[in-house]
Amino acid sequence: MLDQAFEALKTYDWGADRNQLLPIEEAVITTRDDAAARQALEARIAALLAADVSRDAKDFACRMLMIIGSAAAVPALAALLPEHDESHMARYALERIPADEAARALREALPKASGPLKVGIIGSLGVRRDTASVPALAASLADSDAAVARAAATALGNIGTPEAAKALAASRSTNADVKLAATDARLACADSLLAAGKKSEALVLYKSLAGEDQPKHVRLAGTRGMLACAGKAQ
Amino acid sequence: MHDDQSRTQYEDHGRIRPEHRGPSRREFLKTAGAAIAVPYVITSSALGNEERPPASDRIVMAGIGIGNMGRGDCESFLGRGDVQYVAASDVRKGARDWAKARVDKHYQNGDCQTYNDFREILARGDIDAVHIATPDHWHAIMVIEACRQGKDVYCQKPETRTLREGPLMIAAARRYARVVSGGSQRVLEDYRDTVNKCWAGELGTIKSINVNVGPLSQLCNLPAEATPPEIDWELWLGPAPWAPYNKARCDGNFSTAGNSWRSYIDYSGGGMTDWGAHHFGGATFAVDVRELQPREIEYHDEKEGKFLTYKYPNGLLLTHNRPQTGNLQVEGTPGEEIAAKAVPSYKGDGGIYGDFIECVKTREKPFRDIELAVNTVAVSHLGIIAYELQRSLKWDAARQEFPGDAEANRFLDRARREPWVL
Repeated sequence: MLDQAFEALKTYDWGADRNQLLPIEEAVITTRDDAAARQALEARIAALLAADVSRDAKDFACRMLMIIGSAAAVPALAALLPEHDESHMARYALERIPADEAARALREALPKASGPLKVGIIGSLGVRRDTASVPALAASLADSDAAVARAAATALGNIGTPEAAKALAASRSTNADVKLAATDARLACADSLLAAGKKSEALVLYKSLAGEDQPKHVRLAGTRGMLACAGKAQ
Repeated sequence: MHDDQSRTQYEDHGRIRPEHRGPSRREFLKTAGAAIAVPYVITSSALGNEERPPASDRIVMAGIGIGNMGRGDCESFLGRGDVQYVAASDVRKGARDWAKARVDKHYQNGDCQTYNDFREILARGDIDAVHIATPDHWHAIMVIEACRQGKDVYCQKPETRTLREGPLMIAAARRYARVVSGGSQRVLEDYRDTVNKCWAGELGTIKSINVNVGPLSQLCNLPAEATPPEIDWELWLGPAPWAPYNKARCDGNFSTAGNSWRSYIDYSGGGMTDWGAHHFGGATFAVDVRELQPREIEYHDEKEGKFLTYKYPNGLLLTHNRPQTGNLQVEGTPGEEIAAKAVPSYKGDGGIYGDFIECVKTREKPFRDIELAVNTVAVSHLGIIAYELQRSLKWDAARQEFPGDAEANRFLDRARREPWVL
């Protein structure tokens, strides 16, 4: 049955009977306690990514690798990151694979990417809270592409470390969208720092956003944060 | 071809164009004041009358996603005298046209503005609040962006598509002190008998409650159809994986049997989240665990069928599809009497919509505050993951993770398609 399912994937495309692939979906779950079988299954699925199969077949393969992919599948997935049609589904797997190799692949793809694909890679690094990517994300804050800079701000907010906050504080973008995202990210960093007990660092951030130059709801957020740092009810 | 498509999508959807930012209400009034130098008729509606507050006191609202649920929400807010409905957004021209015709007819003017891209609504400084009724895969991005822009939000259920989205939405609402309400009116209104008995103490200490709901959503592999010119397909898909247009993929009907977006995993959790938001919401309200999330999900695969037992930190059991057990069937402690508690309810007038508007005015938390709504949909998501993995799970609600369970933690979220980032 499994062999037939893999055979079906060679010609699988939108409109094909999805039930043909059920044996693969079942094997992804049932090989949990059989390391050798799972390894073999992972290799077989990853091999599809370099094969002459449809975008839909690769989409399916990435979904399966999201569940069982390991460092072994990373090179095949990383090869798709620059590809317009497949970059997102490669991230669909890479973003969720816990292995360090997955984060490294995303970091290495970042300087070679541009436009929306770069935005996507930045987003995935942020979701992974990849602290090693902070310098690259800090540089991306100044990208002439506002969508890239905006994504970098959001990613740094997700990472939430003092280094991320420092990078955000250095942002000088005049683009309204980037400023909005950077402001939110700075507040997110402050929230993270406060939750981690780093009150003085959080206070500096909140205070910087509580001034009259900020919109009312941002001033409110800054003020509430300052009160929280002081241990007062919000 | 793909490069061109990419560029178009990117330029259209990757940023908010500053020139579309509207004036704030204060700026608008200042401009209007200057304009009063010319002949100007102030209508009784603008000044307010016995039925309507003056324009300056009304909540200025807009709608995002004007399909089946969105139209109902639009009608409900439009019918309120304390709301001024000014704009609507939808990626389908037909939905935009419906909204404009409906709103303009209501106010007897031509003022309603419509947009393909929701960000143009969120960037308007004169709008106080929005209601959101798009497919579920959009909710988190829209709610969070609305909060960043200082808007209050009424978001249809199910509020989240992944577990990770919930805390981000709550954080955005709390960070900016926004009123963010979830959208299930059934939580309070459909199960009153059970709710009243539980809260009155008539059933004694509650041991368990059961919910029957389903099915889970499926992968979609429908064939490609010609994309109608009336829909912006790229923006309909948004953060979801790319797929070719098919009418059944994006139809907004309430079925979960394969002919609607509610059937497919990229946009919905199926009946488990769609009706689950109502049933799990009603059940957790009835037994008063709506402020909690389960700490364990037991997966049962027995002769009678597969079902789940959720264990709450206070000992309460919530079962899902337990064989031979009715929906919202409660197991109490016969013969025990416990103290009655006052049943929480809506504020203001006009059901769940009135509750939201009242809270926008008073800055209180609404009945379906986003945190409670997120807790409800988390039950659905946790159950889906247990069924997908065919095993039991432990859940750390404080850390929002499956402790020591790398396999399950992969299901906390899914990568969003560029250029969407969360």
